[in-house]
Parts: sequence; structure tokens; C-alpha cells
Amino acid sequence: MLVLGIETSCDETAVGIVEDRFTLRANVIASQVELHAPYGGVVPEVAARAHLEALLPTIDHALVEAGCGLSDMDAIAVTSGPGLIGALLVGVSAAKGLALAHDKPLIGVNHLRAHVEVAQLEFGELQPPLAALVVSGGHTSIVALEKVGSGGESGDDGRFRQLGATIDDAAGEAFDKIARFIGLGYPGGPEIDRLARQGDPKAIDFPRAMLHEPGYDMSLSGLKTAVIRYLRRLEAAGTEPDLADVAASFQEAIVDVQVVKTLRAARDEGLERVVLAGGVAANTRLRARFAEACEREGLGLVVPSIPLCTDNGAMVAASGANLLAAGTLADLELGVDPNLPLAG
Amino acid sequence: MLILGIETSTGQSSVALVGTDGVVASASLGVARRHGEFVAPAVQFCLRQAGVGADRVTGVTVGLGPGLYTGLRVGIATAQAFAAARDLPVVGMSGLDVLAFQVRHVRRLIAAVIDARRGELFWALYRAVPGGVQRQTDLRVGTAEQLAAELEATGEECLVIGDGLSRATHELDRVGIETFAAVPDAAHLAELARPRFEREETQRPADLLPIYLRHADAKIGWEARGRMQGGAAT
Ligand SMILES: [Zn+2]
Repeated sequence: MLVLGIETSCDETAVGIVEDRFTLRANVIASQVELHAPYGGVVPEVAARAHLEALLPTIDHALVEAGCGLSDMDAIAVTSGPGLIGALLVGVSAAKGLALAHDKPLIGVNHLRAHVEVAQLEFGELQPPLAALVVSGGHTSIVALEKVGSGGESGDDGRFRQLGATIDDAAGEAFDKIARFIGLGYPGGPEIDRLARQGDPKAIDFPRAMLHEPGYDMSLSGLKTAVIRYLRRLEAAGTEPDLADVAASFQEAIVDVQVVKTLRAARDEGLERVVLAGGVAANTRLRARFAEACEREGLGLVVPSIPLCTDNGAMVAASGANLLAAGTLADLELGVDPNLPLAG
Repeated sequence: MLILGIETSTGQSSVALVGTDGVVASASLGVARRHGEFVAPAVQFCLRQAGVGADRVTGVTVGLGPGLYTGLRVGIATAQAFAAARDLPVVGMSGLDVLAFQVRHVRRLIAAVIDARRGELFWALYRAVPGGVQRQTDLRVGTAEQLAAELEATGEECLVIGDGLSRATHELDRVGIETFAAVPDAAHLAELARPRFEREETQRPADLLPIYLRHADAKIGWEARGRMQGGAAT
């Protein structure tokens, strides 16, 4: 059973092909990062234009990589939200064109769930009960996956339960803004990650908002403001900041909040393992701290390899394959939902 | 020959299947701004009306604009993917050419106009020639005043056909130019494209791109983006 997955929700034009839910056959990404870099963030109209130009070649490339043709596919899956509306529409329209041309089933995929479900390509069926931290440029949420997973249930809408989320900035957004402020390149996550390795994470005590408040919601905008205020204060005093220390301390504060909130959720809810998902899950400090904390607490940890953490088409194909197995198909009227929630 | 036409450059999208003897099936969207949900079901509807499968289509033609970007991309992405999946030749056409073609029997100078939003219009001027129309100018974007001034400067009798003319009526009335409200239509698009398929003057699906006429608005909505993609805590 082959599923082709199309992802165009943000700044990567990506196509993946998955066989029998667990086997990755192709994963091709045409990145637009360089197009958006001069602006320090994703420009929606630029993204939509670039998706349209890149999509057909990316589909072709994925088919070649998988060694098959469109007529071999059992379904066409596509991200229908959340994301940038104009960008989403390019992928969804193309997916409908493919589905129409070969009379294949169409499947609408939730981008956030796909970030979690992609783990099945490297670790097999997800084993609930588990907590998933979905952390990226646009989203930062903790969800629980409770039901016994099986092919038949994977598409069940009640499968994910939202436990907590950022009430303001997403973690990746905070990384981008601070990177821009201290003159690093875009995207900010990898740049800060790199610089932070030369710094002391304990050098500056940046705030960890809501850390000791009950519940699993987070707030990251105060941290961002504190970093900016710290740098301005030094500048006013004529002191050169140690940017590696700033990066390391800022990153540590973000990571602390993610680790504490996720592990508290797992403990309170009786969840046995943690899945890290989304672009920020590529952060080396986040991965290391979760490894350490989960071991200490006796929790299992599932962390996809970096190319499967950042936006990709394989995750859409994997999630689409689960939906196909569950018989959850879309029709040709499938719309896009820029605000589609992870669970709810 | 069975040509699938898709035209989404204005609020009123349309889809048509045109054979050698004319229109076989067509569907159009009256309500503006729902291209995303309209185009693919409309293609399916036309195929069913015609009683054929997708494998019977021999070519795809699509309106490239200028027009509303999001709608254009919906039409073009659908057309591209359909054609690529079936290995079909494609022909991209400007919706302005289609509008002018719709009044090809007029002897006057023809101005085809499409609403560009933000207080502006897209247009081009045409003249009837045997078998169709010929574009006389580049594709332009500007205000109704600029269009009226350009037409007045020709010193010729003109007919203005198009979409979004309500914002230009005052200016065009003032210089005594007749207007005719219309949108480019997929059936006319396919009819206009048919000779190109016959002469094999076709393109590959990946060559199809919208005619933008404007640079991308490079403003980052950080706040909007946070709201849009932030993990809604519900
Ligand atoms: Zn993502």
C-alpha cells in the first residue's frame, strides 16, 4: 500500500512516499529558506509563489526516488492545515489534480499530528500512552496519545488530547526573533543551537515564565523580552555582551520550560513515554536534555532523526497512510484550515 | 480531442470540457472566493456530465491571470497536477486574452479589464483580426483614471469588457467609453486554446505560472503568524 504525501503549509515544498504505513520510500524537500532569509521570517506571498514553482519537480523527484509512478499510489495525502492559507491551497489543489487524474482517494492530513506520527517510520507503531511535544516555528504544544494504537484506530479523531500549549510565542518563533536581534542568520534555531555550544547555559538567569504554575501551558514572549532588555542594558553601559553565553542561556531557558512541562504532564497523566516532534525537536540541547530527564524519570523517549523532525513530506504520507488504513478519506471539496488544532 | 479548461482569475471561477464540436460540459461558480473547494469537484462534475473518465482528456488549458493570486494558484496547481499525472500537453492563456476573444466581433478597439483589488485594475488593449483578436499592448496594472487616460489618448472608439468595472464606471463614463461587464470563462478559454493544441503549440505542465504583474508583498505578519499557527490551547 503506497501513499504519496504533499506538504506545503509553510516554507518547505515537500513530497514523501510511504509503503505499508511504516516504510519510507521517498522523502524530497525543496527548501525556500533562502528566499525568506532576507526578511528574517516567512513571507506568505513569497511562500505561495515558490510552492507552485517547486511542487511538480518535487513530486517527480519523489516518484523517481521511490521507483514508482503515480498510478501505483493507493492514495494522495496532503496537509490541509494548520499553516499559511495561500501556501496550503497550492498543495491541496495539486493533490486534488493528482487524485482526479488517476481516480485515487484523497486524504487531508493535520500537519501537527503528522509531526508526531512520522516517528512510526523509524520506531514502528507509536506505543500509547505517551506524551508528545510538538515544537516548531508555528506551534508549541503538549498532547497525550492514549488509545491503544493500531492501523484501525490511527485515524480516530479522539486519539490526541491537548494538555498544554504556549499562550503566546511558539518556541521556534522565539528562536528566530532572538537570532535576528543578535544578528544571526535565518532560520534562527540552528544558528542559536550552534552558537550556544560555545557558551555557558548558566551564565545569565533568564526567566522561565509559568514554570511553577500548575498545568502545562507555557509562555515564551516574556523570555524574549528579557533577552532583548538584557542586551540593551549592556549596550547602554557600553559593555560588549558575550553572545555565546546569551544564546546558551536563552536556549537553556526555553529547553527548561519544555522539559519541565512535558515531563510533568507525562507524570501526572500516567503516560509512559515522550515523543519529540517538529522543527525545534532538531535542537541538540533539547534532545540531550530530554534524553537525560527521561532516563532519570524512567520514561521512554522517541526522537525522530533530524530530517524527519523538520517539515517534510514523509510525515504527511505516514499520517495519510494511517488515515487510509482507518478509512478516513476526504472528498474533492477538501478545504484548508489555517488554524486546524492538533487535538480538539 | 477533449480539452479541459480551468479559469480562476476572478471571483467567478469556471471549468469546461470542450470537444471538437464545442462545449461538452461546463460549471461555473457564482459566489466569489471559494476556488479552493470549487475547481476539483467542478472538473469531476464535467467529466461525469460528459460520461468520460480522466483518461479521455487530451489537453489542459488554464487561465494564467492576471487576477487574484490565490485563485489563480488554485486553478494552475490543479491543472498542472492533473496534466502532469496524465502526461498531457498544456496551454496557459491570459484571462485578458479570453475576455477580448469573447467580443471578437466588435470593430472598435477593445480594452479587456480584470479587477486587481487595492483600487487598481489589470488591462490590455486588443483589436479584432480574422479568426480572433490580437493584443496591442503589454499587460498593465493601474488605476481607473490611468485606464481612462490611456483610452482617451488613442482617440479611438473603444469597448471596455471585464471584471471590476464598477470602480471604473465613473471615469470611463466621463470620457464617453462604453463598458460591458464580463469575466473570462473556461469554455471560451478552451475554444481559444484549441487551435494551439491542434498546431501542437503546447507547453509542459511545470511551465505554467501565474502572470503576477506585481511583486510579492514582502511583509511578515509575525503576530498574524503566531495566531495562525500557535498551538491553539483548546
Ligand atoms: Zn511543522
